[in-house]
Amino acid sequence: MDITIFGQQCVNGLVLGSTYGLIAVGYTMVYGIIGMINFAHGEIYMISAYLTAIFLALFTTVGIHSLPVVLLGVLVLTMLFTALYGWSVERIAYRPLRHSNRLAPLISAIGISLILQNYIRISQGARNQGVPPVLEGVFRLPPDSLDHRFVQITYLQSLIVVVALVSMAILTWIIQHTALGRACRATQQDRIMANLLGVNTDRIISTVFVMGAAMAAVAGFLVTLNYGSFDFYIGFLMGIKAFTAAVLGGIGSLPGAMLGGVVLGLAESFFAGFVNSDYKDVFAFSLLILFLIFRPSGFLGVPEVEKV
Amino acid sequence: MMGTDWRAAFRVGGVALLLFTPLTGLVLAGYQLEWHWQRPLWLAGGFGLGYGLLRLVWRRWLSGAHAFGQRAAAGSTTDPARHRPLWIGLALGVALLLPFFLDKYGINVATLALIYILLGLGLNIVVGLAGLLDLGFVAFYAVGAYTYAFGYHYFGLSFWLALPLGGLLAACFGMMLGFPVLRLHGDYLAIVTLGFGEIIRLILNNWVSLTGGPNGVSVVFPTFFGLEFNRRAKQGGVPLHEFLGIDYSANQRAVFLYLLLLAVVLVMVYVVVRLKRMPIGRAWEALRENEIACRSLGINHVTVKLSAFGLGALVGGMGGVFFAASQGFVNPTSFTFFESAHILAIVVLGGMGSTTGVVVAALLLTVVPEMLRDFADYRVLFVGVAMVLMMIWRPRGLRQRRRPVFQVEPSPQPAFVNPVKKRLRGPGGGHPPQWGFGGKAPNNPPNNRSDP
Amino acid sequence: MQSAKRLLPVLAMGMMLLFACQPSGAAEPIRIGVAGPFTGSDASFGEQFWRGAEQAATDLNAAGGVLGRPIQLIKADDACEPKQASAVASRLVDRDKVVAVAGHFCSSTTMTASTTYADAGVLMITPGSTNPQITERQLPTLFRMCGRDDQQGVVGADFVVKKLKATHVAVLHDKTTYGQGLADAMKTRLHSLGQTEVLYEGLTRGEKDFNALVTKLKSIQADAVYFGGYHSEAGPLVRQMREQGMTAPLVSGDGIFSEVLVVSAGGPGFLKGVYMTFGADPRKIATGKALVERFRQNGYEPEGYTLYSYATIQTIAAAIQATQSQEGEKLAQWLHGHPVETVMGPKAWDAKGDLQVSDYVMYQWDDKGKYQEVE
Repeated sequence: MDITIFGQQCVNGLVLGSTYGLIAVGYTMVYGIIGMINFAHGEIYMISAYLTAIFLALFTTVGIHSLPVVLLGVLVLTMLFTALYGWSVERIAYRPLRHSNRLAPLISAIGISLILQNYIRISQGARNQGVPPVLEGVFRLPPDSLDHRFVQITYLQSLIVVVALVSMAILTWIIQHTALGRACRATQQDRIMANLLGVNTDRIISTVFVMGAAMAAVAGFLVTLNYGSFDFYIGFLMGIKAFTAAVLGGIGSLPGAMLGGVVLGLAESFFAGFVNSDYKDVFAFSLLILFLIFRPSGFLGVPEVEKV
Repeated sequence: MMGTDWRAAFRVGGVALLLFTPLTGLVLAGYQLEWHWQRPLWLAGGFGLGYGLLRLVWRRWLSGAHAFGQRAAAGSTTDPARHRPLWIGLALGVALLLPFFLDKYGINVATLALIYILLGLGLNIVVGLAGLLDLGFVAFYAVGAYTYAFGYHYFGLSFWLALPLGGLLAACFGMMLGFPVLRLHGDYLAIVTLGFGEIIRLILNNWVSLTGGPNGVSVVFPTFFGLEFNRRAKQGGVPLHEFLGIDYSANQRAVFLYLLLLAVVLVMVYVVVRLKRMPIGRAWEALRENEIACRSLGINHVTVKLSAFGLGALVGGMGGVFFAASQGFVNPTSFTFFESAHILAIVVLGGMGSTTGVVVAALLLTVVPEMLRDFADYRVLFVGVAMVLMMIWRPRGLRQRRRPVFQVEPSPQPAFVNPVKKRLRGPGGGHPPQWGFGGKAPNNPPNNRSDP
Repeated sequence: MQSAKRLLPVLAMGMMLLFACQPSGAAEPIRIGVAGPFTGSDASFGEQFWRGAEQAATDLNAAGGVLGRPIQLIKADDACEPKQASAVASRLVDRDKVVAVAGHFCSSTTMTASTTYADAGVLMITPGSTNPQITERQLPTLFRMCGRDDQQGVVGADFVVKKLKATHVAVLHDKTTYGQGLADAMKTRLHSLGQTEVLYEGLTRGEKDFNALVTKLKSIQADAVYFGGYHSEAGPLVRQMREQGMTAPLVSGDGIFSEVLVVSAGGPGFLKGVYMTFGADPRKIATGKALVERFRQNGYEPEGYTLYSYATIQTIAAAIQATQSQEGEKLAQWLHGHPVETVMGPKAWDAKGDLQVSDYVMYQWDDKGKYQEVE
């Protein structure tokens, strides 16, 4: 087999996996702290894609054209507003259900997905939307290959991988080394005890939702720039894939989410590239099932200890 | 009091304004923006005002509801089970007579509701009783539907054979899935079942030479002892209306399917209610509450879990056969993850483990979205809103399950009762014993975590 | 039991509402159902349907209606799901008592719903379902306003082989009834032209990343790619092909016939070398020019199936006017024998309900985001 094809599939998988990883973080953090699958997270990602395009168009309309300023400004604004959506969703649909059984929030999450999807469809229209190409250009290896034997990564693709790694590192640092992170971990281990010790657990849970949404916004921003288009329905499939990645990596573990995402991305790319793209998703889900049967806690998850 | 209400309303309005401004005020048109300044303002104003009013009304209502609650508590000393046969009889009567008063559309909706009741009953065994969170229930539904479709298409199988066969085949799939996942708990089980459901759907979609892929498979309508429901016989049989000497009406077949389905649902309700009282049903619920304790008491968790998976799948498979029969056509788009979520919503909204609850929730979740059809564009939005509101209103379901509890009678008998053999008091008995934190609301479950 | 007691009234109310929803008495206007995916992932096509039908009804009513009665459209959403399609079909027939239906869009929903309409003897004209199977069943009251995928696939295959002179053709589809049907038709024609495709695979609808597939296309050195599917996938696919340095042409069908393709691909620059088959552009037909202008004045570009759905309503109205009848069978009989003058020119149907003249032609995109007919 041609080595450049193999290399190219690695790059494809890595880029795809990084986006899965960024969104998986939202699932894994929320699951870690309140043990709940936030099925509306995919829609939060969808919202962020719309926000990215809207703010990008807004900057253009206002007349700011300096690329770094625009990109940074759009990113920050998107993160802020997406975080606000994440916070509101938690406040409206999950907090009132904090003390009920664990399936009630699951159902209200599905309700929220329907609401967000249709809210966007009604307010922004059903047709595909997109952003004009930005930051075009590629790194190629070997750089001056004339035939098709090269491995390439576009600027945006490399940005996805780098930003995913950096933001994951920052998040891990926050959880491990700051007071906020300590409070998060305390809430995760024993919410009632943390509450007794003066941690405002409701606020911590809100913060976790906000952080998860902000990470989804980073993913939404990068993916939108990279693929150029989106519609109101993209959250569903991405949500399921990212959730799969989170479980694969060991749900509740931050580095696990990233690892799970990359493994899933690579698996999909290799299967689609070398075997058959019809059965790509079947392969991904089979991999997940087999993996969970033999190592139920994922790559980096802590095995559940059953207490009697 | 008023002041805080309006301040809160103001805050809600402010947040709403922030939320709505970019997404409703700025509308993408190509790479340009259209401005709709008035939309976020209206929305935010509406939300703020609505929230404020709601708070006021709520407070008024709460002070009144307190007295109501006391009255209700005083009234509940009478035996609530007394009127039960009356209600059941009434509901049955309505269900039986319903198809003769509805048009075909109404009957179709009612049939769909019955199919969802069947599916809800099936999933209720797995999720509600055995406490195994299954997000891929639609797989068994699909197996049932496709059994009938393939059976007819390849072997000329009739509906009456396909019905048990579809159920059994689905049960086999259930066991097949159940066996490897015995070790998994809670949410890992959820994702594995989700994956399984997706795999089944994808295979149905991709394996074109067998399944017809996205084109699906056509299904023939069931016959009644060889009598057909067409205006003119197609399969060389006799049309029912000629046999009975009555006029042909397109409604006949819909009524027939409805009544048949109703019979199957009633049988299933009976079976499930009985099962709950039998050792196996007790074992399911015991396993849900505490697996380790059960295993140490000698309950074979393998057979118990597998039986739950198998039986649940069996019921789901039969639902699938009915679905195929009522649609006359199956293709993979009917078996997406959203369908699983819908069935799960029925079980959760019904109050997990409650049979009455499942029936009521299935009716609500089928009939309400159909009633909302007049809202066209906003229909699905309202369905979502309804789902969230219902969960907030009744987080533990319409029928809040009461666990069977022991009542230690004040008698010289020894205080220790064998948990397996001693008689249990069913729902409608006293409240479960409460423990945990002193000040908690009584509807708090004693052990949050073991709930599926 | 307490809660059940409280719920029964709710239930009873629900039942009563079900009864109450039935219309009271015969209504004055002529009702026509417009069924399509107005929610869900295909809602953008539903929008085209509704815009066209709505405009047609407005125009007809402004001109005095049909048989002196106004036309009333009933919007019925099937979300492109067969289950919902059969529900809305029986609702349109029983509750709304429609005379005819313009719809559905997705081939799978048209298949399911058509049996209900056929049973009730309601005229059904689909503006956009191109799967051949639909009319092969020969339902007497079913018509198409569009061509068939086997006609479209033939035009596509001929173009790829004869005009583009491609020898390594890859055939992709999106695993939907429409997309796969089209890809199959293309493949069949390719075989009869003496070629075998180098790749025949499906991609997942709703995904945006096809890089792995594109790398594979590159590795097998495909010199033309045929795609059966919609613009929401075709856009990212062609963009990723161009980004990976593939210049092979992408040929597709009516599913990408929309200027939204520019947005889907993320810029007009990626569209060089994209071709598609579609009926002769209805916007170019002289009769349609004025109408197109009217749409544009309202800020709407009448593309894709907009004018198809307009013509469908026109056809239904013409049949009612000519037969003075509202019975589906009579309307159908008339349509089988008489051509109708529509905004897209004269249309006539054969015994199966297919258009007698298939007018598929090839269009080509340029890098400005515009398309025009290939000479």
